[in-house]
Amino acid sequence: MSTHFFGLSDRTYSYSHSVGRSEFSGTGFRNPVDFALGADDVVYVLNRSYENRPDGIHVTVCTLTEDYISEFGSYGEADGQFMWPTSIVMDKDEKLYIADEWLNRISVFSKDGEFLSKWGTSGSGDGELDRPAGLAISSDQTMFVVDSRNSRVQKFTLDGKFLGKFGSFGSGPGELNMPWGIGLGPDGSVFVADWRNDRIQQFTADGQWQATFGQSGDGVGQFNRPNGVCVDQDGDVYVADWMNNRVQILSPEGRFINEMSGNHVLSQWGRDKLASNPDMVRQRAIAMAQDPDFDKKFSHPCAIKTDGQGRIMVLDHTRNRIQLYTKDKEPVLA
Amino acid sequence: MADQDVALMAHLLRRAGFGASRDEIEAKATQGYDATVQALLHPDDQPGVEDDLIMRYQPSYHEAAAIENNVQSWLYRMINSPRQLQEKVALFWHMIFCAGHSKIDSGQEMGIMIQMFRDHGMGSFRDLLLQLSLSPGMMYYLDNSESHKANLNENYGRELLELFSLGVGMDEAFNYSEDDVKVCARAFTGWNVAPAYPPFPYGRSPWEFRFDPADHDDSEKTFLGETGNWDGSDIIDIVCKQPATARFLARHMYNYFVADEPQIPAWRLTPPRDEAAIKMLEKTYFDSGYNIGAMLEVLFTSDFFKSEDVRYAKVKSPAEVVAGTLRLVGDHREIMPGLFEISQEPKYMGMDLMNPPTVEGWHTGREWIDSGTLVERINFASDYLGNTEMPGIKDIVNRLAAMGGSLTPADFVDGCLDLVGPLLVGNDTREELTAHAQKSGELSHGSDAERAEFTRRTGEMLQMIAATAEFQFG
Repeated sequence: MSTHFFGLSDRTYSYSHSVGRSEFSGTGFRNPVDFALGADDVVYVLNRSYENRPDGIHVTVCTLTEDYISEFGSYGEADGQFMWPTSIVMDKDEKLYIADEWLNRISVFSKDGEFLSKWGTSGSGDGELDRPAGLAISSDQTMFVVDSRNSRVQKFTLDGKFLGKFGSFGSGPGELNMPWGIGLGPDGSVFVADWRNDRIQQFTADGQWQATFGQSGDGVGQFNRPNGVCVDQDGDVYVADWMNNRVQILSPEGRFINEMSGNHVLSQWGRDKLASNPDMVRQRAIAMAQDPDFDKKFSHPCAIKTDGQGRIMVLDHTRNRIQLYTKDKEPVLA
Repeated sequence: MADQDVALMAHLLRRAGFGASRDEIEAKATQGYDATVQALLHPDDQPGVEDDLIMRYQPSYHEAAAIENNVQSWLYRMINSPRQLQEKVALFWHMIFCAGHSKIDSGQEMGIMIQMFRDHGMGSFRDLLLQLSLSPGMMYYLDNSESHKANLNENYGRELLELFSLGVGMDEAFNYSEDDVKVCARAFTGWNVAPAYPPFPYGRSPWEFRFDPADHDDSEKTFLGETGNWDGSDIIDIVCKQPATARFLARHMYNYFVADEPQIPAWRLTPPRDEAAIKMLEKTYFDSGYNIGAMLEVLFTSDFFKSEDVRYAKVKSPAEVVAGTLRLVGDHREIMPGLFEISQEPKYMGMDLMNPPTVEGWHTGREWIDSGTLVERINFASDYLGNTEMPGIKDIVNRLAAMGGSLTPADFVDGCLDLVGPLLVGNDTREELTAHAQKSGELSHGSDAERAEFTRRTGEMLQMIAATAEFQFG
């Protein structure tokens, strides 16, 4: 008997585990908006929180197996502080760069959280920023900054010297409307989450438009305010389809492959929290009997990363956790 | 543009919204009074706030467990929603159908309830009462989730009649009996809330209504003289056709949108301030099939609403003070940090939004004012009106300067009063303000130094106006 894939690529993915829980500090996250992967599975989670809980605004440093390491940064406008943090990225020297879309600046930290420097000025001229959103660093250590309200991507050296720009406001090919996330392909292609145009656009590293994927909607290959995008070693494109509460996976040509809607199982930190709250264990058990899926699903996935090990990490914003998947090398019995 | 058109439009935008800048008042006046009323009554025809931007820049507002974030989100909408009447109506129902965070302990559920008022607040009153009775937040707040066929809790049944529809009485008679309360409660047994996920470790699930037929008393009942196997929706049908419900709604609308009335407990014995207006609204209630929007249309286009007698005849609620001040001065007209502190101001002035003191809600009118809340109201408004860096205040300075190269103190005072309202003040107030302005003589703005002094004096005069008794009225 033959097997039918109906023209779709035969990619499958398996849920691995989750990292995190809701906390304002310590072993958990609060309104996380982005994360960066370091060596040895250390992850740096950027927590936006909110102004009446400024204690939640910082970077949580932990591992993908939920070993808590530290946190750094705080709410404010001084050096090393954040108002509206949006994106975090690590360079090959393990320095961390954090964009703040209220202060229009990029702050630089050591991997241990020591503030090193900052750059960026407000405006719309070359090298000036208006609500920087996504960050990405290419293999030649060029910093790509999604300059959202200027409807463009700007390129800088890692110390903030302007190198170039591409994109302008609009909805045509190569035009952008409040773009947010950015990911780089294995060939150096630049993928931008064209947020308010509900699509992904692909550019060459020097800013030549190559392709546009998707349109507004909740159907296959359609998006509702996509905000995170990344590309794996096979060139497959992963999109955090924010307001559709899902991740969509596209082939290198932009054709729909698959989608994820969330498979969460309690993380260790989550178990630890419940262990000290027996009433909530009971309430959760009663709720799960009525609606077993609520807790599994993504709620506004906000950033997505892949690594060289075939892992896909989805930042599950409203649920304050990361859900990890693996790209199956062999068929997996579901 | 005729002054009376501006004054009438300003009156409409204060009552059917949270006030407006002079530019907006003039733009609406150009569109015409009736066209503006129609636009206000049909919010779906107007653009709303940009929810995607709110969620992008303030992601914590979405499904927010924290009550503070829900209050901020609502205040942002009061300030910025082009659908001003929709927000004003949501506040109207929140002040009648009171449920509070102090018991519900879920900011998200309070936010959902306010959204329900937005969605249904100008439609059928029957539908609204049904939505209210299907609201898991209200079912929990008024203990209907503890009311069972075998063990009745009368709380929701009582408040539905006393505070949400009929009222205790009218024309000196009582509107319902204790037996009606019990029957009402029996009819709502089984109207309950489904289990929900707890806050830890990943956040609550939204509460959902659940009907439990095994816990519902479906036996025969006699309610307000009608006998049948009534359930909650039948009770709502019977309630809606009562003249007392029409009276109750009409008086609430008059009190909220037109002029301060006595407090609700006095309504059984105290006749309405304007009986003809109440009768007109009652008739519209029945003629329209209980349609709230139709009642509002009659109200806003009526002579009794347009009358100069009812302008500034209402003490502004704290929400109106705060949102109205920000709309006047042009602050927080986009999403930005700093709204948390401002969102606490109504509470300091006696109105803890989403957390009314009891199910009876807030006492309105002059009861908004005491020595503490008055100081808060004046300080808040005068701080903003005296800030000449605010875009709305810059506009006032420019408009005053456009009145002439030199202004007499009297013209200056009149100009300021006009541009913050037009605000109607008594002779004593006007004389005091003018006397103060006269101390520094005529105002010019030709040179940079004169312009700076002109601006400073404008801010100072606006601060003084914010401290007048008249400024407390809207």
